[in-house]
Amino acid sequence: MSAAKVKMREKKMRNQPASVQYPSSQGSGQEGGDTPSTGATGGDGPSDIHRSTDRQKKHHHRSGWVRGHQRDGGSYDKEMPKYITGGAFAKARAAEVSAMLKAVTKTTGSSHVFGALPKHMRRRAMSHNTKRLPRRLRDVANRLREKSLQAGSKKKKEQAKCKSRKARRRHGNLLLEFNRRQRKNVWLETHIWHAKRFHMVKKWGYCLGDRPTYKCYRPSYRAMSTHCLLQDLSYYCCIELQGEEDKLLASLSQLTSKEAGPTFAAVLCTSGKRQGSVVVYRAGLYPSQPLGPVTFLWRPRTQGSTHRQLWIWAHPTNKQDLLAELQSVCQCTEAIVPPLVPAATTAETGPTPEPETRPEKTPEATRLPGTKRKRNCKDAGEPPAKKILGDGTRSPTCPVTWRSNSTGIVINDLTMEIVRYRLIGPQSHSVLAETFEAATDCDERNKSQTSSLWWPEHCKDESKMNLHRQQADVFHILKDIYSTGELPAGTVLGLAVDDPRLTLPTKKVKALPSVKQTQEVDEAEEEKRRELMLRGVPEHCCQSSLWDQSVRDNVTNNKMSEQELNRMKSEVLVPGSRLSSTPPQGRVPVLLVHQPGKQVGHEMSSWGAGWDLLLPKGWGMAFWVPLVYRGVRIGGLNMSLKHSQNKGIPHFPHDYPDCPAGVCFEEEQEAELLNKFKRRPPAKRTNYIKHGCLAPFRCPWQQLAEEWELIAMQTTTRTDTLTEEETTSRPDDGVAKPQSRFTVLRNRKSLRLLSDWCRPTTSKGQRRCRVGQAPPLDSSAARQFLAEHGTSVVWVRLSLPSKGKPELHAAVCVPVAEDLRLLNKKLDGGGPQEPLHKNHFKSRIKRKKKGAKKAATSSDKTDGKESDLPNLTTSTENPKSSSESSADLIFGLWPDPLPSVTSHCSRVTLGWVTQGDFSLSAGCGEALGFVSVAGLLNTLLDQPAEHRGVVLLRNPASLQYRLAKINIEV
Amino acid sequence: MVRVKSRYLLCEVNVSDRSRLLLLDDRAVATAVRAAVARTHGDYGSALCTIGFSVKYLNAHTGIVFLRFPKRSYKLLWSALPFITSVESRGQKIPCSLNCLHVGGTIRTCQKFLIRYNTQQLHLMLPQCKNEGKEEKQQVRKAILNCSLPGGNKEAFEDELEIEEDEEE
Repeated sequence: MSAAKVKMREKKMRNQPASVQYPSSQGSGQEGGDTPSTGATGGDGPSDIHRSTDRQKKHHHRSGWVRGHQRDGGSYDKEMPKYITGGAFAKARAAEVSAMLKAVTKTTGSSHVFGALPKHMRRRAMSHNTKRLPRRLRDVANRLREKSLQAGSKKKKEQAKCKSRKARRRHGNLLLEFNRRQRKNVWLETHIWHAKRFHMVKKWGYCLGDRPTYKCYRPSYRAMSTHCLLQDLSYYCCIELQGEEDKLLASLSQLTSKEAGPTFAAVLCTSGKRQGSVVVYRAGLYPSQPLGPVTFLWRPRTQGSTHRQLWIWAHPTNKQDLLAELQSVCQCTEAIVPPLVPAATTAETGPTPEPETRPEKTPEATRLPGTKRKRNCKDAGEPPAKKILGDGTRSPTCPVTWRSNSTGIVINDLTMEIVRYRLIGPQSHSVLAETFEAATDCDERNKSQTSSLWWPEHCKDESKMNLHRQQADVFHILKDIYSTGELPAGTVLGLAVDDPRLTLPTKKVKALPSVKQTQEVDEAEEEKRRELMLRGVPEHCCQSSLWDQSVRDNVTNNKMSEQELNRMKSEVLVPGSRLSSTPPQGRVPVLLVHQPGKQVGHEMSSWGAGWDLLLPKGWGMAFWVPLVYRGVRIGGLNMSLKHSQNKGIPHFPHDYPDCPAGVCFEEEQEAELLNKFKRRPPAKRTNYIKHGCLAPFRCPWQQLAEEWELIAMQTTTRTDTLTEEETTSRPDDGVAKPQSRFTVLRNRKSLRLLSDWCRPTTSKGQRRCRVGQAPPLDSSAARQFLAEHGTSVVWVRLSLPSKGKPELHAAVCVPVAEDLRLLNKKLDGGGPQEPLHKNHFKSRIKRKKKGAKKAATSSDKTDGKESDLPNLTTSTENPKSSSESSADLIFGLWPDPLPSVTSHCSRVTLGWVTQGDFSLSAGCGEALGFVSVAGLLNTLLDQPAEHRGVVLLRNPASLQYRLAKINIEV
Repeated sequence: MVRVKSRYLLCEVNVSDRSRLLLLDDRAVATAVRAAVARTHGDYGSALCTIGFSVKYLNAHTGIVFLRFPKRSYKLLWSALPFITSVESRGQKIPCSLNCLHVGGTIRTCQKFLIRYNTQQLHLMLPQCKNEGKEEKQQVRKAILNCSLPGGNKEAFEDELEIEEDEEE
């Protein structure tokens, strides 16, 4: 019996009488007389009789009923009494009675109180209500209960003492808690609003809303295409560059190339009238090593000054690289440490309790040591109870400004300094027009005296007021525009507006366009409107006070609190009416930046155009709620992706596989998808090997580009048409020759050429533009093209005319001649099928499993026997080697290294899809992705003219190919 | 619930020489019973005796024995008990006979019966002791008092719990 069993049995049998008998041994020892034995005879009583009464003291020794006979030692040491008496007999009887009594009164069952009760008397609630127990058991049960409660409380004490909900929700405490939680990830100003309504994700050091908790996929799409969708893009990082214009342009020109479209130096952009966007490369390395796309905005020139200001907006994943690159380009090495006590003016990172409290604390500590602790608590409690504005994670001593001694350029990191909201949709201008009112003038008496606020000062300057009136005029005209998309792309409008909280409607209303009928509109206004639509906002109107650091800080620090505003509202004579006069601190400089819609492609042009609203920090919620009250939809990160997908443009960082951020994203995505895949049992997983999908969770672009380059080289040297069975393209061939990294083709000219080649020459629906310019596609042109962009991939849009919904990482393949014939027949049954592949790894996995077992057993064997050693070693070595080669062999996935990705399936792979979905705007499946340039050209050369640009698309978890049209849009 | 049912026989060992009673041994009793059964009922009986037969309790002072028989065959086995004339223990043959006092379904009922029986016996014993002087009488009286005091039990129960708690900690 095991020890536990013995113990249990002992416990159970504790009360049962044991046999009373002389030990089986008998000898000539002396007799001890401690037992109830013979009182009369004195010494001769039976000694050491095992009695139930004294058994407890030595219950290691013969306790309860013990099976079998036990021998107490070998020698006989106890002697029998010679005679017995009546008294002794009576005593023995009495002892027996008491033993039996004990046995009878006690239950033999478990020691628990409830075990003492018969089953039919037990009740469920007895454990916490002891009054349900019979009275005889109550005391015991109570005691047990107390004990268990104590035990419970002991455990609880170890946990942190939690304050009551009421205490936690008290304003100061809540703010403290919020500030604590912001230490790791930056919160946007609308965080609380979003957190109540969105699934939040921690990304890129921010807490961002991914998608709303309510169902709104289609409504959000409708809002984008007919009304307005609002997004908080404050997480985009702004980097400010200041300096002489020519020097700035000279240094920035290293980062971009004219081949990839307009650069920082585009005339329209440098004037400050338009926002521009470029893809930034590492300095001087144009076709390779891109950093990512940025948008930029020049501040309009002030008269007689060449000093310019430039804002570059970048994605947070991109920012650090970009900042480092900018610093090296501009030779800005000297970091300017921000002043430690920013006090009222800068308020760099919200609470800076350390420098403020320290001078207070030290004299106090010396003076009153007794009260120190209390004050400390107060000190710790009070100053951080201030809302964090801007970046809460950055330490106050971290430099945000860098200056260059040689060029005089100053780089300023304005991350989280400016709030950026994006309104997407044709009605976004009417939302803006309804929400904002151009700032009203100051009162006369305010004008006379100097004020610490910016607006009264602003009002004093007549030229500035003039400008403001012009800007207000432009803003008024904006209302009359039918759709946001009518405006020139990237138009900028500076404005000063009243606090939008003052005009907050009591109910949510949908902002509708107020397009006047043509007959009502007088000529002058019509003229102005046309001017605005054609030329955009005049240059001087793009000026805004938002560019000034001092004004921004002034506005941020003098923001009227919600509480104060509500108090003022409550004092209004007629409840619910507007405040009679705008409070002096209620003017905010804003910047409206037009965002272009869909510019590429033919259909749905200018879809998804909108406005970006730039605000000084601290005013986020003050503008957010009024905007929401105008009936806009709110979108999260998810909608950003869909927006760019519908626009047909690559989304950062998803679709920039050549950028460091894109590579990082791909790795993360792969890990995430793999995790998801592994969560399923192997029998329920998609067997990607059988589906012929080599890398379902990532796209080996590099391998693709290399393989296709090889294929293209072979075909050109042989001057032969491409054959399907390219067996020579082994992965090791590609490895042997050190290749440069693949690039994404962004050269405008080449893209245009490729785009032309892609189009079918004789198709009814297609307009053929620039026919004369583009050289016809032939092998020589293709060879020339490939010499330049051999290892490139190109961004394409694929639309599926018939069935099919492309998914992430679907393969783009080359159709064979039969497939094209199928297209001629117009069979709607879909495209060809991929034959099922064979899983060569299945046996290997099995063998591995077996091998592991065998190895374990054989290692035991080898210890014992050496005779069958050679036999065993062979059997053990094989599985070991295989298991080593495929250490991470996952059922249903190809292990590394991959075989040739292009020729793995029956159709040659061109590339993969990075975004695929059913497009609500097109009404059919649409996919965006990259294909290899070399592969594409080879395919195009091979195809008949009327079927140019037809490819096959196959999802990773399906065998069905779908025919798709390839579009390259510039 | 299903359980193995058995019968418990509460027997008294009657001996001519009371001092020899103290030599009794549970194993000796068991072998004696087995031998008697084998003698009277042959192989069949001894086979029945192998399963579920045991001597549960033996008090050498009072000569009380609890025998456990399987319920199925206890009557047959019981019928062999009168044939026991002696028990051989510690190398000595003790002439004795077994007198069955009670048959119970559980050991508990036997214990209960034993309490009653013992007190009864003590009460019977009291008037009988006359010649041995006061000492003996007093002892018997004390014994009677001892076994019929109900208050003592409760205390014992309390003690029990204390010990139990100690163990748990």
